[in-house]
Amino acid sequence: MPKEILIDPVTRIEGHSKITIQLNDSGEVEDARFHVTQFRGFEKFCEGRPFTEMPSLTARICGICPVSHLIASAKACDALLAVRIPPTAAKLRQIMNLAQVVQSHALSFFHLSSPDLLFGMDGDPAKRNILGVVEAHPTLARDGIALRKFGQEIIALLGGKRIHPAWAVPGGVSEPLTEDKREKILASVPEALLLIERTLSWFKGVLEQFREEIRMFGNFPSMFMALVTPHPNGIHQAFLEHYDGVLRFVDAAGNIVLDQVDPLRYQDYIAESVEPSSYLKSPYFKAQGYPDGIYRVGPLARLNIIDRCGTPRADQEWTEFRALRRGVILSSFHQHYARLVEILYGIERIEQILNEPDILDQHVRAFAEPNQFEGIGVAEAPRGTLFHHYQIDENGLIKSVNLIIATGHNNLAMNRSVKQVAQHYVKGSHLQEGMLNRVEAVIRCFDPCLSCSTHAIGRMPLHIQLIGPEGELLDEVKRN
Amino acid sequence: MARTLVIGYGNPLRGDDGLGWRIVDRLAKMVAGEKTKILAVHQLTPELAEPISASDLVIFVDASYQGEPGSWRCEAIAPNGEVSNALAHYFTPVGLLGYADALFRARPRSLLISVAALSFDCSDQLSSNIEAVIPDIVQYIGTQISWFSQISAHSAVT
Repeated sequence: MPKEILIDPVTRIEGHSKITIQLNDSGEVEDARFHVTQFRGFEKFCEGRPFTEMPSLTARICGICPVSHLIASAKACDALLAVRIPPTAAKLRQIMNLAQVVQSHALSFFHLSSPDLLFGMDGDPAKRNILGVVEAHPTLARDGIALRKFGQEIIALLGGKRIHPAWAVPGGVSEPLTEDKREKILASVPEALLLIERTLSWFKGVLEQFREEIRMFGNFPSMFMALVTPHPNGIHQAFLEHYDGVLRFVDAAGNIVLDQVDPLRYQDYIAESVEPSSYLKSPYFKAQGYPDGIYRVGPLARLNIIDRCGTPRADQEWTEFRALRRGVILSSFHQHYARLVEILYGIERIEQILNEPDILDQHVRAFAEPNQFEGIGVAEAPRGTLFHHYQIDENGLIKSVNLIIATGHNNLAMNRSVKQVAQHYVKGSHLQEGMLNRVEAVIRCFDPCLSCSTHAIGRMPLHIQLIGPEGELLDEVKRN
Repeated sequence: MARTLVIGYGNPLRGDDGLGWRIVDRLAKMVAGEKTKILAVHQLTPELAEPISASDLVIFVDASYQGEPGSWRCEAIAPNGEVSNALAHYFTPVGLLGYADALFRARPRSLLISVAALSFDCSDQLSSNIEAVIPDIVQYIGTQISWFSQISAHSAVT
């Protein structure tokens, strides 16, 4: 009779979820699943609302990455208006999106994952937390705060506030950039560059200690997908892209499977499946079918599919990163590394855009009535490609909404990663901290964002149960 | 006047979870001033440790699962050395105060106002019994800010 280990909820990810580990009669891991137990209902909730509300409504999906939804939603609304937004507006949206990537990656790396990286997966759980990091490595903790602040301040300067800025609107942005704001952001760039380069240097120094985790943390062949920027001069090189561009798919060997795909045609290549055990949808690559059509999105995917980043310092780091392995990097543990390279790129690229001559242009919004009944907006969120797909009626009211979030794209890959880790580390029927932390840590590599929303006092952070063959409780761990 | 930070947090599209936003929105019209900073945030995030460290009084306003819907309470809170495993998924008020203390050696006087909620379903409306207590809570926070400022001024003089 099989047994089941339940980890509920998984901590230090955005949202609520649990992991079940199925043991067979021999006590070996037969299967493992990552379940999202939180139902949001945004796709239904938005039906009947005016489409102009969608950017600010969908930004409420998450308190960590509201800008990603704001940008993708505004782009979908641009499509409904059938307008080409002013170039300066597109650049300002790019800056805000990159600031979002910087602050979100900083949260993931410094606050969620650095305790594991600093103290090791078997470190004392009493110290393996952010306060432990403050005590043992205060510079790392302060650098994390400062880098997150760098991104948050840019969002606040552009949008008027850090969380849920209603600044990206259908047709562009609501306000142009002022000279003093530009100077303020530019003045903060040198320190941010210093901090991320210091962090990269530290991380590369400790990487060797995680050889086993690199080998076992979601290290398997799969496809990768992201937006890329075609080189402006027509050279066939794809640059790192977070706002616009075309979709590219590469396989586990690094071969291009699909390129120059108009993101508006995503449904030709991606389909979605639903599992009864989770509220998180499972998108898959249509040509390979379900569940074989696994692909990964996010920082690792983005660095795997490009030909270069497009900024000098990030290109240097990217070259070193890609030298870790011939072909593409398959281990999901390297998502951490990829995040740091993307932070560096984000800071450099923000500086580049701010120095473009038309960045202070006052023309930042195109006005129009709806001209299309269907609109699709795509952007790269910190965790991967984000699709917003709306249909409206003749009054501009939303008829249907389809959102494919980055964490959804990674759902199949996260399940396979949990199974790989569980098969390697879970032994016997007793729960051990180090083993459980590795199961959770592999999920944290993907930095899943499960639409963290309702939170109030009185919830248990972690409850783990080991259930025996007859449903009896074999072991139990509560962490508070 | 004491430097005061009021943080209302929650999700305004999840029914009563948005009460913190509604309360600080009303409060902003009442106690606007250079020394009073008011924030409405989705969740408590680590960088809030910095404005906390620059404050003399911090007031958190949140919805709670516990208690009779519409009932509310205020308690003084302080870092207690305990760390929640939730960590940066979201910080608890005590966890965030501990973070501010560890990073910036700052321990402002802090209050947590918890309002027992009725519904966390998808909605941009508050329950009627929650709506009804908001004026009292806004008034209470205003009084706390004034009182603390007076005490601080008195301490500074003496």
